[in-house]
Amino acid sequence: MRVSTSWIQQQSVGSMMNRQSDLSDLNTQLSTGKRINQPSDDPVGAARALDMSHLIADAAQYQRNITSANARLGLEEQSLANTGNVLGRVRTLLLQAANGSQTDDTRGDIAAEMVQLRQQLLGQANSKDGQGEYIFAGNRTGTQPFASQGSVSYMGDAGQRMVAAGPGLQVATGDPGSAVFMDIPTGNGRFAVSAAAANAGSAVAGASSVSDPAANPPAWDGGSYSIVFTAADAYEVRDGGGVVLDSGSYDPDKGGSVTFRGAQIAFSGAPAAGDSFALGASAKQDVFTTLDNIIKTLRTPNGGGAQMQNDINTQFANLDQAIDAITRTRGLVGARMNALDQQSGLNDDLTLQYKTALSDVQDLNYYDAISQLGAQTTALQAAQQTFTKIQGSKLFDYLR
Amino acid sequence: MADMLSTGVSGLLASQIGLSTVSHNVANVNTDGYSRQVVSFGARLPEGQGGFYIGTGVNTVAVQRAYSQFLNSSLWSASSGQGRASAMASLTGQLNNQLSGSTNLQTSLDSFYGAVQDMANAPSDTATRQVLLARAGGLATTFRALSGQFNQLSGQIQQQIGDAVDAINTDTQSIAKLNEKIRSFSSTDGTPPADLLDQRDALVKKLAGEVGISVVPQNDNTISVFAGNGQALVTGTEAHALGTVANVYDATRVEVVGAGSGSVISGRIGGGTLGALLDFRSNVLDPAQIQLGRTAQAMASAFNAQHAQGVDLYGAIGGSFFDVAGPAVQGASGNTGSGTVTASIDDIGALSGKEYLLSYDGSAWSMRDTSGNAVALSGSGTSADPFKAAGLSLVVGGSAGAGDSFRVQPSRDAAAGFKLAIDDPDKIAAAAPFAVSAGAGNTGSASPSVSISDGSDPNLLAPSAIVFSSPTSYSIDGGPAQTFTPGQPIVHNGWSMQLNGAPQAGDSFSLQANSNAQGDNSNALMLGKVANLGLLDGGVTSAGRAYSQLVSQVGGAGALAKDELTTQTAVYNQAMSAQQSVSGVNLDEEAANLVRYQQAYQASAQVISTANSIFNALLGAVRS
Repeated sequence: MRVSTSWIQQQSVGSMMNRQSDLSDLNTQLSTGKRINQPSDDPVGAARALDMSHLIADAAQYQRNITSANARLGLEEQSLANTGNVLGRVRTLLLQAANGSQTDDTRGDIAAEMVQLRQQLLGQANSKDGQGEYIFAGNRTGTQPFASQGSVSYMGDAGQRMVAAGPGLQVATGDPGSAVFMDIPTGNGRFAVSAAAANAGSAVAGASSVSDPAANPPAWDGGSYSIVFTAADAYEVRDGGGVVLDSGSYDPDKGGSVTFRGAQIAFSGAPAAGDSFALGASAKQDVFTTLDNIIKTLRTPNGGGAQMQNDINTQFANLDQAIDAITRTRGLVGARMNALDQQSGLNDDLTLQYKTALSDVQDLNYYDAISQLGAQTTALQAAQQTFTKIQGSKLFDYLR
Repeated sequence: MADMLSTGVSGLLASQIGLSTVSHNVANVNTDGYSRQVVSFGARLPEGQGGFYIGTGVNTVAVQRAYSQFLNSSLWSASSGQGRASAMASLTGQLNNQLSGSTNLQTSLDSFYGAVQDMANAPSDTATRQVLLARAGGLATTFRALSGQFNQLSGQIQQQIGDAVDAINTDTQSIAKLNEKIRSFSSTDGTPPADLLDQRDALVKKLAGEVGISVVPQNDNTISVFAGNGQALVTGTEAHALGTVANVYDATRVEVVGAGSGSVISGRIGGGTLGALLDFRSNVLDPAQIQLGRTAQAMASAFNAQHAQGVDLYGAIGGSFFDVAGPAVQGASGNTGSGTVTASIDDIGALSGKEYLLSYDGSAWSMRDTSGNAVALSGSGTSADPFKAAGLSLVVGGSAGAGDSFRVQPSRDAAAGFKLAIDDPDKIAAAAPFAVSAGAGNTGSASPSVSISDGSDPNLLAPSAIVFSSPTSYSIDGGPAQTFTPGQPIVHNGWSMQLNGAPQAGDSFSLQANSNAQGDNSNALMLGKVANLGLLDGGVTSAGRAYSQLVSQVGGAGALAKDELTTQTAVYNQAMSAQQSVSGVNLDEEAANLVRYQQAYQASAQVISTANSIFNALLGAVRS
């Protein structure tokens, strides 16, 4: 076939251009380390790389959220631990105060320490996080939640801040002060026992409980009742209207327990005829009121009689409920931090997967690229040499 | 012996013509469109000498160009394809460059939503709120920058269309002039000069690279040239110029018109640079702009909607967070009536990415998309009952004349106007608007969740109490008993309360403004979720995903154009090789011919010299 001299030259130049353009592409790929430098290099891959980058950014943000949540929960946990310590000290002191060997004076000393503890407790309840937000104020983080003017009132709300820790997983990063410090049930959590102020005997109401609390319908009906000792060794259970529901005998020397309608109350000491104890469904009482009541009881100058024992027992039950609330909240906080840690591990795993996938999509295979670079360079050199050879041999050269 | 002399002279002359032609060929070895010329010789009529004939030398019969009509036609069509492919590759390359640069919308979206979540982690912290506003500003800038780049490219294309039309007109005029010359040569000499034909063919090839054409040869050696759709560009000695006019709906958009008819032929031109420009504009750039606009609208409307479900630090319901342009409506320049059309988005999930023409026939309105498919309209077009179609809500006003039409572009320029609507960090609505609580003594399992259904209700934030007198009946604030249907929300004062679980008689729920709750991040968390919320295409495509679609759409067009360029270049090279194998100059061949004619010339000269010496011998014989 005939070939045209200028066309063969143009084609040689064209093919050298193509080799050079291939080399330039390879150069871009090798210097960026990326296979896709323009969407047109791999349209589907480019879109997929964007999706992957988005997932990676999402996971990184979840990790940031978890870090911030852990910081907040850590502070709450610290605060709750301190609160637990304060309440533990209160309990120890209360145990001491219940000891028969105490005098009005020593109880007064104990009460004085308790006043300090109450201050500490208030301080913990009003603690702030690193950003100056009140930890236990619910969502009203700019308002001091516990204001003490005689009694303590809660100025926060019941809000609970959540954090997005993963796709579809939100974890609370706080507990409102109302749940931690305020709305604590009295007594054993189901009902509370209190001795009538006019009791003359030495009978003391001790531990109380509800039998079979899971039964449905519950055995304890949550009503108001009174246990009246009609004699030192006999009692009657009466409902709110004074109707006698139950009666039984009581051994003042050994003590004993009264059981009715699912409620069980242990008594000790010798009641006087006419002494009575009131039973009512648990109410809500804040921990500060419980402390105030303890201090008031300890400061009552009555020589540690049965009345004081009964009061102390009542406060013991309330105090234990408060300690219980703190412990439970700490448990919740721990569980949340646990969940966050797990999610964090999961996010890390996912990030690794996404990054691997992203790398598969957009990163350059260096071995491949470098061997291509070699091949393309050789091809270019070959094209150049061929060109000079072909251009150098012309019939005109021989016509001399 | 005079015969020998004249025969020698004829050989000499013939060789000279051969040598001239070789020289001409060698001189034009690099001339674009040149066809090598070939001399054909014929023996002269012999002289009869009774029983036999004596040859009398050579005649030069013709100098012709080596030419194949078929190969040239293939070359023109390949040139059309190549011109189109190379323009397309360069245009899509430009667009791809714009999307591979630093203005990556996905990155902006990610850092914006990251800031939303950081704000959710510390909603009362002014610093995080400031950062969020800064990132939101960055996102808006990215939207505008991308849109600006697209618009710039669009502007360049208008310019290039004008340039291409000018180039086409220049070429058609030159072709018409060559036609005239060729015709006049043909009528006087019979055959037109090969070099003029070559010039004309080269121009036709150039024209084919600018626009797809078909060429029809005429009897008088002229050619007629038609653009792909049959629009005449050259007939005989007359050139028909193409023109450009503004689009009837959009003065900034250039359309191509035929000279005589004046009708718009933009959509019917294929091939060549002009074909590529028009194709790129309507099939790559327009959809990319629309997709970006759709993304901006979806992003802004979803974020604004969620923002309006919260309250800011001032206790006010969240206002617009982003501003974005709505649908644009342009009346045709030839509208006769005073009719107006206003369009708004009715359902962002139903937006199709198409554009529409709304026209009035004197009694009724009808709509079709820009590819001509009819779109059914519901409603009557009044503001109380607007036309609804394809996610749009259209209200017509004034009195439109029969034949008036309006173009509706739902999303085209939306991204250009994307901006931040608030600049006060305290106006970010991170908190829930209501504090809702279930009564302490509730025995049912219902838990309430409340959203705002009408943010303009003056009593929206007024406290309310809902008391159930039975599982199916409730009253609000001691009002009349109302029936409760499980699963249906309770709507009052502009809010809507959904109960999960079953309420019991005596259960109560109270609702009040979430005052003073600067630490509340409920709405901020919901705002963070908008990032992955399906918004477009019936609620399956998130804003980020829509952007990936845009990237793969543009990347796909770019990859296709690259492939097509490779293919078309191969086709062009093939056609060129074939044509050149017939018409191209080969220097070796010319060198051989040079030697051939030189030898023939020398031989003829020798013949003359011999004739001379014979004649001298004769004279000498006579003299002696």
